[in-house]
Amino acid sequence: MVLLEDSRATVTPSTPDGPDDEPRAVVTRLPTSDRVFRGVARVAGSAVLGIMLLVGLFLSVQAWPAVRKAGWGFLTTQDWDTEGNHFGVAGVLVGTILIALVAITIALPLAIGTALYISEYAPRRIAPLLVNLVDLMAAVPSVVYGIWGFFLLQPHLLVVGNQGEGLPRWLTTYFGWIPLLSVDEYQPRDPEASASRLTSSTFIAGIVVAMMVTPIIASVMREVFAQAPPGEREGAYALGATKWGMIRSVVLPFGRGGMIGATMLGLGRALGETIGVVLIISIGFVIQPHILQNGGGSISALIASRYQESTAIGVAALMGAGLVLFAMTLVVNLLAGVIISRSRSGASSEA
Amino acid sequence: MNVRALVAAAVAVAVTALVPAQAAVAAAPRRVPINGAGSTWSSNAIDNWRRNVLQRQLYVNFQPTGSTDGRNQFRNATVDFGVSEIPYGLRDAFGGVDTAPPRKFAYMPIVAGGTAFMYNLKIAGRQVTNLRLSGDVVASIFTGAIKRWNDPKIKDDNPGLALPNRRIVPVVRQDGSGTSAQFTLWMSKQYPSIWNAYCAKFGKKAPCGITSAYPFRSSDGFVGQQGSTGVTGYVQQANAEGAITYVEYSYAIGARFPVVKVRNAADYYVEPTAQNVAVALTKARINTNQGSREYLTQILDDVYRFTDPRVYPLSSYSYMIVPTETGRGINTDKGFTLGEFANYFLCEGQQQADVLGYSPLPKNLVEAGFAQVSKIPGAVKHGGSLSQCNNPTFSSDGSNTLAKTAPQPSPCDKRGSKQTSAGTAGAKVETPVLAAARCTGSGGGGSQGNTPQNGATVGPSASASAGPGGGATGGGGSGDGELIGAVPVDLTGRPGWGLQQTAMLIAGLVVLGLVLVPPLLAQRWRSRGGRR
Repeated sequence: MVLLEDSRATVTPSTPDGPDDEPRAVVTRLPTSDRVFRGVARVAGSAVLGIMLLVGLFLSVQAWPAVRKAGWGFLTTQDWDTEGNHFGVAGVLVGTILIALVAITIALPLAIGTALYISEYAPRRIAPLLVNLVDLMAAVPSVVYGIWGFFLLQPHLLVVGNQGEGLPRWLTTYFGWIPLLSVDEYQPRDPEASASRLTSSTFIAGIVVAMMVTPIIASVMREVFAQAPPGEREGAYALGATKWGMIRSVVLPFGRGGMIGATMLGLGRALGETIGVVLIISIGFVIQPHILQNGGGSISALIASRYQESTAIGVAALMGAGLVLFAMTLVVNLLAGVIISRSRSGASSEA
Repeated sequence: MNVRALVAAAVAVAVTALVPAQAAVAAAPRRVPINGAGSTWSSNAIDNWRRNVLQRQLYVNFQPTGSTDGRNQFRNATVDFGVSEIPYGLRDAFGGVDTAPPRKFAYMPIVAGGTAFMYNLKIAGRQVTNLRLSGDVVASIFTGAIKRWNDPKIKDDNPGLALPNRRIVPVVRQDGSGTSAQFTLWMSKQYPSIWNAYCAKFGKKAPCGITSAYPFRSSDGFVGQQGSTGVTGYVQQANAEGAITYVEYSYAIGARFPVVKVRNAADYYVEPTAQNVAVALTKARINTNQGSREYLTQILDDVYRFTDPRVYPLSSYSYMIVPTETGRGINTDKGFTLGEFANYFLCEGQQQADVLGYSPLPKNLVEAGFAQVSKIPGAVKHGGSLSQCNNPTFSSDGSNTLAKTAPQPSPCDKRGSKQTSAGTAGAKVETPVLAAARCTGSGGGGSQGNTPQNGATVGPSASASAGPGGGATGGGGSGDGELIGAVPVDLTGRPGWGLQQTAMLIAGLVVLGLVLVPPLLAQRWRSRGGRR
């Protein structure tokens, strides 16, 4: 009997009429330091988010009177006459994008080369020095690049002398048939042609901005290239690849997402670059697709040159322009963030 | 406690020693750094004064960000004083009305000067320094109606120059500027039809009036730049040949560039020298109504039309906007410092105006200025007598000495068929004048020896010249030395070594170095490592 009772007790581990099984409540008791850290991080993170939201909200509220007055015309009008109620960002919006594109076109090859050289080719001893140099380049204030562009690059390297000798003239002489590179009212072969047509252009402003975004792109790319897995690298070597072959088959595919992300980060900075552009460009409000021709503009340059606007509507219109720029930069940076975070997994190398 | 009391006593003694007139005041005011912003037109003078008062322990920060910004920052109380060419409350055709600040303030004239037209023009590779223009031609140039330097109207003004068929590039301010305001005010008063027609292109109705934000379109060949330094810096580059801009006279002197001699109502072409500006401004109508908010501001209509042959028509005063009550960032210490600074530049500071490219204030405005200074809270009234200022305009009988002693213009500067070869502003080099227009009269400068016989001949410049050699006329300056065409033109391919070539060489070397040095270094290190 005793046995029977015992076997019954052992056979039925749980009784249907008994209390349900419940997982043990795991109480993790964080140490105080962890809790403090978590709190601080949480506050900091949400503060950044909150500040961004507040900036957007502030710009929207401030811009409202102008945007209401101009309506959708704010995005399509090619003029900036706040007193005459005829203003819009169409011209400077296109100018902003053109300057950023010129900058990226120049900065991208430069940055890829720099990053690959530092991470793959440079001897161990000088690599840290080069990294520091690139970081130093990023630390130069943009007004310095602007002055460099205005007093050295433009008059002494790009548009030299009364004939405007230099790269822009060469480009428009031989590639002027491309609409983007043509210059109105300028005949390169006329000795009395005004070289001023080639100054203060989107192209020159773009070069100055390229100098500012190159270090940012280069340092992000360097990080990405350094993350290429050593196993695959050695595998490629084992299969007889040269260094360049290894880079092409391992480093670049692994870094593809990171490269795109870095480029878009650079683009975000290029879109918002102000003082370097304002010192160079002659602001026009008409869409001007000829990048080598005098005139152009960017939203930030417009704001910098007109921020003294005294009337309420003038300030509101500038806030509206700022809002457009804010939104555009936000989208570009969000895309960059998404692409960078996806590239971390190294998924792009699977294909 | 004792130490602190000692220090306080020492400071008090030091301050009272420095300011004997204020010895009786209980709490001695201190010198504190003050901030100002505004006009780039007068910033060369202010910068100079600012440096001079450093030795008196007066720290004055001044940001030349444009008159519009100066008025705005003063309204928003972000600066202690503003500097502006024009007062608050003017109706701006493009910028709207800027309202006066809520705090009490006063205008104080600081210096006079002329808005000059600095240009970069070459004939046959040689810089032109004696260009002369009538007012309507200037207005037409800056409204895009005259597009080429060889326009018949410009030729009429310059009988002695064989002007090239080069595009005129008007360079204007793209930020809110008092210089633009003074210039557009002059155009709107003197040449309303030209100015209104230009404004109409920007959708403005007929009486267009004054504006601080100069309207322009790049497609019309205009170039916009930031600040007076921006437009000056642009015009002085070699690639800006054919450019012309409007800045205060001092900028052209600093850039070593010539300015246009503008024709006045007496049909003389004059340069904005200190004397010519002083003569012109004897006709400035100053608001003398003490109760008015615009007390001491200027009305320049009579200046533009003044028929004295020495008048530079675009002369004007620049103003400092000073606070007359405490609060909103102003305390007696700041007022005291500002007062000291003002007392300096209204008195001794005016002596340097001429050298810098400005014109000193006359006696009545200096006195009125001192009266305005005493309204600043905490400011000390100027102690010494006015005769100690050594202001060149002062005289015993109250007349303007500088204007009185101003030299009459040379007869060659009168409108007609003659033209002087003398240079202007920062470029005093003579420009050769065509034989027919050569001025042999007095004051024209030595035009016999050093000017070539034919205006079209080039110096021994290495540049190739287009056209069938030099001037077509081979005449030795006899009879009608009319130039027939064929103006030599600089062509590309300047020989010699320039910065561009240096940059290319450096770039080439860097590329070579990047390719060669690292492998060599690496090899060396590797072999050294291997040996170990």
